[in-house]
Amino acid sequence: MDLARNLKIDSVSRLQPTPPRQVQPQQTVAEAVLVMRQSNVGCVLICAGMQLVGIFTERDLVRRVLAEGKRLTLPVEQCMTPHPVTVHPKDPISTAVRRMVEGGYRHLPVVNDKGCPVGVLSVKRIVHYLVEHFPATIYNLPPDPGTVPQEREGA
Amino acid sequence: MICPNCGHDNLPGGEECAGCGQDLTQLDLPSASNRVERSLMEDSVGKLCRLEPVVVGPTATLGDAIQAMLGTGIGALLVVDGAGKLVGIISERDLLTKLDADGDSYRALPVKEFMTPNPETLTTDATLAYALHKMDVGGYRHLPVVRDGKPEGVISVRDMLRHITHLCKDK
Repeated sequence: MDLARNLKIDSVSRLQPTPPRQVQPQQTVAEAVLVMRQSNVGCVLICAGMQLVGIFTERDLVRRVLAEGKRLTLPVEQCMTPHPVTVHPKDPISTAVRRMVEGGYRHLPVVNDKGCPVGVLSVKRIVHYLVEHFPATIYNLPPDPGTVPQEREGA
Repeated sequence: MICPNCGHDNLPGGEECAGCGQDLTQLDLPSASNRVERSLMEDSVGKLCRLEPVVVGPTATLGDAIQAMLGTGIGALLVVDGAGKLVGIISERDLLTKLDADGDSYRALPVKEFMTPNPETLTTDATLAYALHKMDVGGYRHLPVVRDGKPEGVISVRDMLRHITHLCKDK
């Protein structure tokens, strides 16, 4: 179980990225927010036809809409992040992690050879992968490893 | 599981040796098999967390909170009461899910109505493994680090990933 090696071998598709939530560039910010709330996700992909043209995240909502006092009736293409950094389903997980850490991103669109989005990889999936990777270390460790129970638990 | 005292071969998970009665509980503690595991088990949250967290006071408005987020580039602020004790956390996600605003009208609303009250916290001596587990189970991206109820820092999922990728790279 060597993490550095597995991060290079395991691919993004193994993490089962969540299916992408998509809106069209002409739809309003309010519609994008509704989609995010209903599916309880932090970002939607902005797609013209099948092609990915941008991403709209909770951060864009705060920084590009609320902070600037813009109306929620604007088309989402005016408030999105255009040309987001993406990963390919066959990219190793290490590539996805590196792009997230370097860019400070919490979500990466997963895009296939044709430029069509097939999923969104969130940082939560990466955290879960790491926890799965070290089950003994993480699940079995008491909060304070120095203490040993004074009495046995159970009957 | 071989008893270090008498050499008796016990069933795995036994609490004391069937041969000599020696306490075996310490033998079952997980041991680290590589650098990353060792760091997760032994390094404390205090080593990674960002000190001097960005806090807002009890009377802050959403306008104040968003200004603080913009100025610092971070996505979660700690909310403290008059005595400096942590009472909540307000993140970009809270604004997404709870705020129904158009234009500028939201700015005067109090942060207290939108924050997540009584967030999960850590102490500086908690291990990184414990923090990572908490993030996974709760789906948190920021965990406040407190001492006696007062915030001392914040550890984010990004701090954690950066640390782990750094360890993987150096090999």
